[in-house]
Formats: sequence, C-alpha cells, structure tokens
Amino acid sequence: MSEHDQGPDEGVITRRTLMLGAGGAGIFGVLASRLYYLQVVKAEDYRVLSDDNRFNFKISLPSRGRIMDRFGENLAVNKQDYRVVMIPEQVKDVEATLKRISNIVPLNTKMLDRIRKDIRDHARFVPILIDDHLDWKTFSALNFNIPDLPGVIPQVGEGRFYPNKGLFAHTLGYVGRANPKDVEKDNDPMLRQPTFRIGKTGVEAAADKTLRGSAGKLKVEVNALGRIVREWPDPNDAAIKGKDVWLTLDAELQRYGAELFEEDSGGLAVIDVMTGELRTLLSMPTFDANLFVSGLTQADMNRLNNDEKRPQYNKVLSGGYPPASTFKMTVMLAALESGLIDPKKKVFCTQKLRLGNRIFHCWKRGGHGAMDMRDGLKNSCDIYFYETAQIIGMEKIAEMGRKLGFGTAYDIGISGVKPGIMPDPAWKQARLGNGWRMGDTLNASIGQGFVLATPLQLAVMAGRIANGQKALVPNLLVGQDLPELADLDIDPEHIAFVQDAMWSVCEEPGGTAYRANGLGIKGLDMAGKTGTGQVRGISTSERQSRLRKHEELPWKLRDHSIFVGYAPYNAPRFAVGCVVEHGGSGSKRAASIVRAVLGRALERDGLGPETELKTNGATL
Amino acid sequence: MMNPLSSSAGITAKLYEVNWLLVALVVLVGLVGVLMIFAATDGVWSSGAQQHLIRLIVASGLMLGVAMTDVKVWYALAYPAYFGALVLLIAVDVMGVSVNGSQRWLDLQVMRIQPSEVMKLAIVLAMARYYHDLPNWRVSRLSGLLGAAILILLPMALVLRQPDLGTTLLLAATGVGIIFLAGVNWRVIGGAALAGAIALPLFFRFGLKEYQRSRILTFLDPSRDPTGASYHITQSKIALGSGGFSGKGFMNGTQRQLAYVPENRTDFIFTVIGEEFGLLGSLLTIGLYILVISLCVWLSMQCKHVFSRLLVLGLTTTFTLYIFINLGMVMGLAPVVGVPLPLISYGGTVVLTVMTGFGLILSAHLHRQNELPRSQF
Repeated sequence: MSEHDQGPDEGVITRRTLMLGAGGAGIFGVLASRLYYLQVVKAEDYRVLSDDNRFNFKISLPSRGRIMDRFGENLAVNKQDYRVVMIPEQVKDVEATLKRISNIVPLNTKMLDRIRKDIRDHARFVPILIDDHLDWKTFSALNFNIPDLPGVIPQVGEGRFYPNKGLFAHTLGYVGRANPKDVEKDNDPMLRQPTFRIGKTGVEAAADKTLRGSAGKLKVEVNALGRIVREWPDPNDAAIKGKDVWLTLDAELQRYGAELFEEDSGGLAVIDVMTGELRTLLSMPTFDANLFVSGLTQADMNRLNNDEKRPQYNKVLSGGYPPASTFKMTVMLAALESGLIDPKKKVFCTQKLRLGNRIFHCWKRGGHGAMDMRDGLKNSCDIYFYETAQIIGMEKIAEMGRKLGFGTAYDIGISGVKPGIMPDPAWKQARLGNGWRMGDTLNASIGQGFVLATPLQLAVMAGRIANGQKALVPNLLVGQDLPELADLDIDPEHIAFVQDAMWSVCEEPGGTAYRANGLGIKGLDMAGKTGTGQVRGISTSERQSRLRKHEELPWKLRDHSIFVGYAPYNAPRFAVGCVVEHGGSGSKRAASIVRAVLGRALERDGLGPETELKTNGATL
Repeated sequence: MMNPLSSSAGITAKLYEVNWLLVALVVLVGLVGVLMIFAATDGVWSSGAQQHLIRLIVASGLMLGVAMTDVKVWYALAYPAYFGALVLLIAVDVMGVSVNGSQRWLDLQVMRIQPSEVMKLAIVLAMARYYHDLPNWRVSRLSGLLGAAILILLPMALVLRQPDLGTTLLLAATGVGIIFLAGVNWRVIGGAALAGAIALPLFFRFGLKEYQRSRILTFLDPSRDPTGASYHITQSKIALGSGGFSGKGFMNGTQRQLAYVPENRTDFIFTVIGEEFGLLGSLLTIGLYILVISLCVWLSMQCKHVFSRLLVLGLTTTFTLYIFINLGMVMGLAPVVGVPLPLISYGGTVVLTVMTGFGLILSAHLHRQNELPRSQF
C-alpha cells in the first residue's frame, strides 16, 4: 500500500483528538465557572428571586360593616358571592381563555369589553373580575374545568345584600366598583381591586370610610401558574372588618308606611320631635338596590327610567312640592308674631277675592262665610289667608317660613337633601329679575306659587311647631355629633294657638281631617293640617261650569295629596310630613297614611331598648 | 498487546474483555437520571422514574449486544444504516406524528421512533466509514470534501424541516468534528469558517421557523419577552442559583415543587440537580460525564483502524455536544433548543440511541485489533 492510498493517519487523528479534547475541557471549564457564578457568587440573589417566585402578598379585603336600624334589624348585610377572576399575567392567551370561560359562564359583548378594558387599565398581576353572582351550578362547573384554565381563579367572596330589597334603597344607597375618579381621590389600595365595592350613594357612600374597614395582607405560596398552594396567614396582617352603622330609622315603621302607600308615589318622613331622629324616611315607589350591586341589565335600567313614578328619585329628600295649605301655619305664626292681626277678627269668605283685575279663589264652592283665625285653619279657608298675607306682607311670612325650616337643606349625613324654595321679594329679584307682586304673596300664603318644600321639610316644620321651643334638626346616623339645638324663638302662646288650631283640624267635627275615632288610640289626640297641591292652572270656564273630579283627570294632572301632623297632641312625640303625588285631596290619601303611621309609631315607641345600649357607644 | 479477538472466540472470554468500567459509568449516569426524575415528578415513581429504569435495563442489554457484535458488521452496515435513516426521515416528513407542533415521530404501531435519533448514530457510522475508505490525499480535496458535505447536509435539511434546530446543530457539529478529526488541512478549515460566517445570518433569516428565531433572539436579549421564551431561562437560572453551594436537599426544591421550571423532567432536569444538590451535586454530575468522555477518548486511541477511531470519537463528540448544549441552555449560556441531558433526562429514544452509541464504542474497542479491510472507492 502506498502512502497515498492510506486513510487519515493515526498521528493526525490523535493530534486532532487532543485539540478537540482541549477545546472540550475549555468548555467544561466555562460551564463549571458559570455554575460557580450562579450557585456561589449570585446564590443569594437567586435565593431571593426563588422566594419571590414562591411567595406573594395578596391583599385581603375586609368584610363591609352592616347597616342596621335603631333596633338592630339588618338593612344592609354581606352575602356569600360566587365569582370568577382572572390574573392576566398568568394567562397565556387572554382571548382564548375568555372564550373557554364563556362556554361555562355566559359573557356578553358588554362584559367582554369591560373585562378587556380592565385588563388594559390594571397592572398584569391585578385579578380582574370576570363575573360575579354566579349560581352554584355554574360555579361548580367552573371549578371542575379550572385545571385547564391557568390564571383563572374561582373565588367565594362577599357581596352586598339588602334584605328589604328597595324599602330603604333611597336612604341606604348602594355599592359599586370604584371608578377612576374615586381612585384618584382616594389612594386606598383596596379601591384598585376589581372585586372591591365602595358606597356609591346614600348611607353606603356617606359612611363609606366607617363601613369599609381596612385591607390586610396575606402571604401566600403560589406555583408557576399562580395557583395558591398554601396560605401563611399572620394575625397581625389580617384585614380589619368595617364597622357597623346604625340608623335612627325604625324598619318596621317604614315597612308599614310603604304598605300604606300601596301603588302610589310620594314621600314620607317621621321625625322624633324631641331629638330630631328620623324614624322613617320613605320614598315611593322603591327600586331593588340589589340589582345595582349585581349589575343592572339594560332592561332593568329601561324599566326604571321609563316609570312615570320615577322610582330612583328620592322624593322624601329631593322632591320639591308646593306645600299648599300645610303652609298656612307659617302665615298664622307670622301674623301672630307681627302683632298686626287680631286672631279673633273675622274675615268673610265668598270664595272670591279681587286683586286688581285678577280674581283669587277659595277652594270651597260658595265660600266659608265668616272665619276667624282658628276657623280659617280648621276649614283651610284660602280667603282668610289671602287677606292676612296682604296685611303682614311677604317678608314676615318668609322669615317665619325659614324659622320653621323651609328653604334649608339639612345635613343628615347623606347627599341628595334639597332645600326647596322659600321665596321672598329679594329671591324673586335675584332669580327671575322682576319685582314681587301682591299676587305672588297671595299664592305663597296658601303654599302655592313659588313655594316648594320636601316631605322632610314638612315633617321638620310640623316637628318644630310640636316642639315649640327648639328648632328641631333631623338626623339619621346614630352616634353622629349633633350641634345643640337652637331656640325656635317664637312666643309659646302663639305656638299654643297654632297647635290648638291644628288639633281642631283633626279632632273637631268639621275639621278638614276630622275622623270620629281619631288616631284610634284612646286618650291620644292628633294635630295636623291637610294640603292639596295644585299642579295645574284651573281655567275660568272650568271653574264656572264644574271642577273636574280627581278621578276624571289624567294621573299627571291630579293634585298632590299632602298632610303634616304630630301626636300625641298633649305631649308630642312624633311629627310626620307626607306627600302622595297626584293623590288628590290632602284630607283623604295623605291624611289617612299619616294617621295610621302616627298611631303605629306611638304603639312602637319605647318598644325597643335605648339606642345607646344597642350601639355600645359606637361613634361614626 | 492483546491478541485480536476473532468472532468465534468464546462468549465468556469475550464478555470478560468488554470495558466494564465504561459500562459501569454509563449505568451510573443513568441511575442518577432515575433519581432526579423521581425528584422532578414529586416522588411519583410511576410518572417517569420507573420507565427510565426499565429503559435503562433494556438499553443496557442492547448496549452489550451491540458491543459483542464484531465491528466488521457495523462497518458493513454503516451505509445501509445511513440510507435507512434517511428514508425514515423522509417518511416522518410525509406521515409522521406531530408532538408539540414538531413532526419528529414515526408511528410504527408497535413503537414510536424518532428517526432523527437514529440518524445521530448513522451519520457517525457513515462518516467513519467514508474516511476509513477515503485515501489520505483526497481528504482535503474538493471531491473528498464534497462527499462528506453531502453526508452531513442531507440529514440536516430533513431534520430542520421537522423542525428540530437542536438536532440539526448537533448533526452539523458532529459531522464537522469528524471532518476535523479526519485531518482536513487548515486552509480548508479557514475557508469553511469564513463561509460559515457568511452563511449563518442567511440561515438565521431563511432557514429557521419564527419560534426558533425568537428563542435565539430571546437568548441574546432576555428582557425581550420575560414571560415567554426567556421564562425558561430565567426560571432555570433561579432554580440553579437558589440551590447555592450545597442545595436545598433532595426533594426540597421549591422552584421544582411549584413547577416554575417547565420540562424539568426532560430537558431541564439539570435544574433539579442544581437546586436540590447545589454546586456540589452539579459538579459531581459534570465530573461523571467528564469521566465517561475521557474514558471514551482513551479507548479510541487504542483502536487500530480509522473506522473504529472515528466511530468512537464521533459518538463521543455527539455525546459531549449533547451535554454542552443542554448545560449551556440550562445555565443561560445557549438558546433553548430542546436538547436533552443524555442518560439523565426522561425520554425513551434518547436512552436507546445513546446506549446503542456506547455499544458501538465498546464494540470498536473490543475488536480494536481486528483487521478491517478497506473498500475501494
């Protein structure tokens, strides 16, 4: 064999082998030094990273405080709520995951849009709510499929629940997710948790900080899929439960009031004439606040918005109604305090009063005849008050109106309290830019025209007259710091005169609200005043032919039925203001509601233990 | 020097001559694998460790069988095996079974085989025979180089189509390694290095799938995609690093327990060793591998003819490259390319091929004195 025929000679292969071997040894050297770098030099850093991987701090949300009535009945509580959240950073393909979830939990486009927006708006590690208020079947189906859905976590949380549905909806308000504006105002990290709820309206909003509690943190061990494999609770880091809030309301009395309203709309306020505590604050019709917590459907929303009785409108605090004849006590007191009017002096009512070229009418066909002040109120004679108002003038009436609480928005701790209108010449000049006319005074003297009052104000007015000494201020939240009540600053004799006249309305035969059996409670009398709030102009032709009867008018054009009253007459405890929208004459619908409510309130008075005992001195 | 062993030598005498040190080392590495798979699967014997042990036993039998067969037989089978593997690779392309988006498996009803694994052995056999037969003066000539290039490029192209970047690179490196060992002259090596420098970017742009490109880019810049492709690398480094010098203890790795390192039963099994046994355990494992490799190189030098030498060295190169790529990947020094840690990672075909490879090495060594005539070109 020649040299050329040979294959690669062994010497070359050996040399090359050694070369490769040297190279290999070098690479092993690099690998070993890399290991040394990772496992010795950087070991501590990686140990920390490994623990970071392993441990996570989860914000733990506190239970929201309950809201209760004065006797401890639950008005707002927390109920177990099954929901599902998703942690985007642990999800490989969000869209695919959402699609798979929607096979189990139906998700409409609106929800999907909301979820996508939430994902964009939050850090990738924040759990995003997919859906809540799941039923047990859906929830267990979800749990069954969860191994195939990394990053999707079924949770049992707490949801707000209002056991009385709508009965207290306007006062309690409801809870909802914090919107970007809330988050901007309040840097509490809980607000950024998509499952957290804050008070949006009513007491829920007003006492939110009290009810909310404070967040805790929970150390959890998580695996690579973000699933919690172990919890390491530390009692010091636990969430602090929100405090309960007590209201002055009497749930039973409010429930009774709502029953009395039946299908009607309107507002009813019952106030303790000694303390100003509100026992009832009812706006009818109501709406189920639970719907707002779980997310209102478009159909629900439409139904609420299209209802002509406006369920969402808080009529008892915000609704401005002409007080009508219930305003006459104000004119009476202004007249007595002015010293310009002798209450014994009679005015002759022929149903008509000419002022310039206008004719003002009394409601009673044919007129009342001769009326002194007491009879004027008892019979609600408009002519008497027209004449009186002309003499004393609007300023004095407005001043007395303000003393009795008209035109004031009371701070009862929640929003939505409206001031109504207590007009005077300066108001009209400022507001409408033209001068006050005598016709305005006459309209105001019977609580029509520019005068507007809320049912709460009517109750306060009645309460101040009943109290007689202090300017009563309504309050709702138990434990709230209340300022000392100011003096009413009205001559007690004049108050007594008006009280007597209001008694005659209810308890003397011929009074506009007289019932033979009165309150139905032996020995307890009621004082009050009817009002029939006109919502339409009555044409001359109609007045000449025949006033259309209540039932003949479309609902929207019927008179408001108004009543204010208090009881017992001798030692007043509760005052009530009541407006039944388009309920007709005040002597009928509103008067009967007030009569029944006052009777029930007196029955229930003192039934429960003292408020102070129940709250253990809790403050807000 | 020993007498050449004839194929008719007594079985017992022949068995005695097998290099049992290598057998013992290989089996030891395999047992490390059983232990670590056991840990990686949370101590569930049946989810990997048991199968690995069984495969190890079966493959050991196969290894000895291959070792006892005369190297002449392997020489004769070199080209048929190569063409057979090529046919299997084409078959996989046409009718293969897809696993995780890669078409690498061929379902033969009885068993599923991975032709690219078979090719890893076949290419070494074929190239060893090629250089055994090739006259020395033609090694650096165009004709000699062309033959070798065709032997390498055909299977590379087919494996890349599957797509399996790791194996493609492994085949290429093994082939180039054998050409280098065969004694190609430095001028050719220089020229090839230059051509490679030009071809590499083109290959990167046109020869790779999107996910393969992204893996390489992520390797170069891990912050590109912290939860995607580089997640493997980051978590793997955390697992190794947090093991420290002496490790967290057997079955105590938190990264492992909480499943932060994906594929830790297969490609990333070294993270379990690093996390639970620390630097000590890692270096011991690497040391074991170095012993195996060194022993193989030592055995190669005792072989008389070119075929045996190149066969042993080629197979050792493949084995070593497996280790380099896998460890480099796990330590964040190389891109994630799905190459297992030989004998330790869970996976049937790899155990079989690697053990068969060691069988060939043992056979070459056992029959090192035998005459091996050269075929005419």
